[in-house]
Amino acid sequence: MSSTTAEPNKTRNLIFIILGALVVIATYLYLIIGQPTDIAAGLGPSALIALAGYLIGAILIGVGAIHRLPTNTLVLIPVAIAINIVVGQLTAALGLPFYFDSIGTILVAVVAGPAAGAVTGAFTNVIWGLTLSPLALPFAITAIVIGVLAGYAARIGVFRTYWLPPIAGLVTGVIAALVSAPIAAFIFGGATGGGTGAIVAAFQAFGNSLLASTTLQGLLSDPVDKLITFTVVMLILLALPTRFKQRFPFVRQYNVLPGTKAKKLD
Amino acid sequence: MTTLYLDRPSPIHRLNPVTKLVGLLAVVLVVFALPQWWASVAILVLVMVPAAVVSGVGGRLLLVTLILAGPLLLVLIIAQGFFYPGRETILFALGALQFSLEGLLLAVGVGTRTAVLVAASVLLLLTTHPGALMTALTERGMPAKVSYVVSSTLQIIPAFRTRAESILLAQRSRGLRTRGNIVRRVRVLLPLVTPLVLGVFVDVEERSTAMEARAFGSTRSRVSYAVIPDSRGQQFSRWALIVLALAVVVLSFTGVLR
Repeated sequence: MSSTTAEPNKTRNLIFIILGALVVIATYLYLIIGQPTDIAAGLGPSALIALAGYLIGAILIGVGAIHRLPTNTLVLIPVAIAINIVVGQLTAALGLPFYFDSIGTILVAVVAGPAAGAVTGAFTNVIWGLTLSPLALPFAITAIVIGVLAGYAARIGVFRTYWLPPIAGLVTGVIAALVSAPIAAFIFGGATGGGTGAIVAAFQAFGNSLLASTTLQGLLSDPVDKLITFTVVMLILLALPTRFKQRFPFVRQYNVLPGTKAKKLD
Repeated sequence: MTTLYLDRPSPIHRLNPVTKLVGLLAVVLVVFALPQWWASVAILVLVMVPAAVVSGVGGRLLLVTLILAGPLLLVLIIAQGFFYPGRETILFALGALQFSLEGLLLAVGVGTRTAVLVAASVLLLLTTHPGALMTALTERGMPAKVSYVVSSTLQIIPAFRTRAESILLAQRSRGLRTRGNIVRRVRVLLPLVTPLVLGVFVDVEERSTAMEARAFGSTRSRVSYAVIPDSRGQQFSRWALIVLALAVVVLSFTGVLR
């Protein structure tokens, strides 16, 4: 397995990721701080800038990150995407008021690192866009952010404890809500689904702007969803045998999970 | 996984997938660059409708577009019509709620734009098999890893869903109750998801070894097994579409088209 970790063009991939992150950050700052004047109209160049900036950024990060993954990590990703989609639909079948469509992303991020989490997140939205609804595609950047944050949370040792993962989930949910709010506001005018559209309208009725309303709607649903998702992922990882968890180099290197400490002779 | 693709003998089906993708991008760029709501309506009537008729999948295209964009348009008209903050011209009032022209125009603008985005994407998916799209893009330099992730996921999902259902049945036969209050149903999720995850992760290791043995990680350029037909005319139209769309964007940003 060690032969699969070869990574040619390392600098090129890093440049892709940094460039993608800069494009996304620039787009975000333009939309949030620049407060384009056409936000009241919801139409005009800011919609195009939001769509193009977030998509180009997501593609650059996705391509840069996918090249960093060795084959044994890459084969995890289709499985993780399938977990996202099937568990998301299973949740709907059980009639739960959550999405739970990022369990696979967070699971892969915890056992294989932020780059793997980013790729899983991005491609979940690509597959969703190809099969269920093209409207999922602009939100790819949110899924990338969730995967990256979960990966770094695991790296600093959040999943070594039993009480930190829910907190990390809460923080990830808040950031995810902030990242996706401008997409919902500028590209879709606040209406991304039947239920959430009604909540956005309710916030607007209290005199909030469109962007403030989509942000508040996101803050209402995302943190709770991610808190539960992170907790479920922690419980799944606890239930998996240690021998299985120790297969992942990322888990051993950063001592991600309780009882998986790297031996001196590794 | 069930993709939207429908096999029909139409000229649009025979186009190179990259041509269709460039067409989609050009259409989306144009409707997002132009702030006028009638620009999106014009694209819908003058581009999408003829394309739908020629492709022979018009009925399905209409159905899927209505299912995806219809509720959105409805929510937008109700939400923005009544609650748009900058309302001046009131069309009618329901009690204390005032329906404004400005809100309606915003809703129609965003709604038709989204409808074009959905219709153009769905037309691409109805007339192009994802496998063909991936092969054509890989031929043009898209990393083979991207193609692997997309194609492999589409094949894994049905098998995965079958496995999820059999686990659900197995746990129910052992007395797992999947009904009850929310806390109980969240707790039910765990004995379902854990065997699912463990099972598929075990398969993954074997697959990785098999792929490595077939030079999956190699960075040398490869030849393609399936050749996707292309033509000079299509090559030219792709560039023409890109130039046209960018021209609209530039004209719109410099204020000529508004």
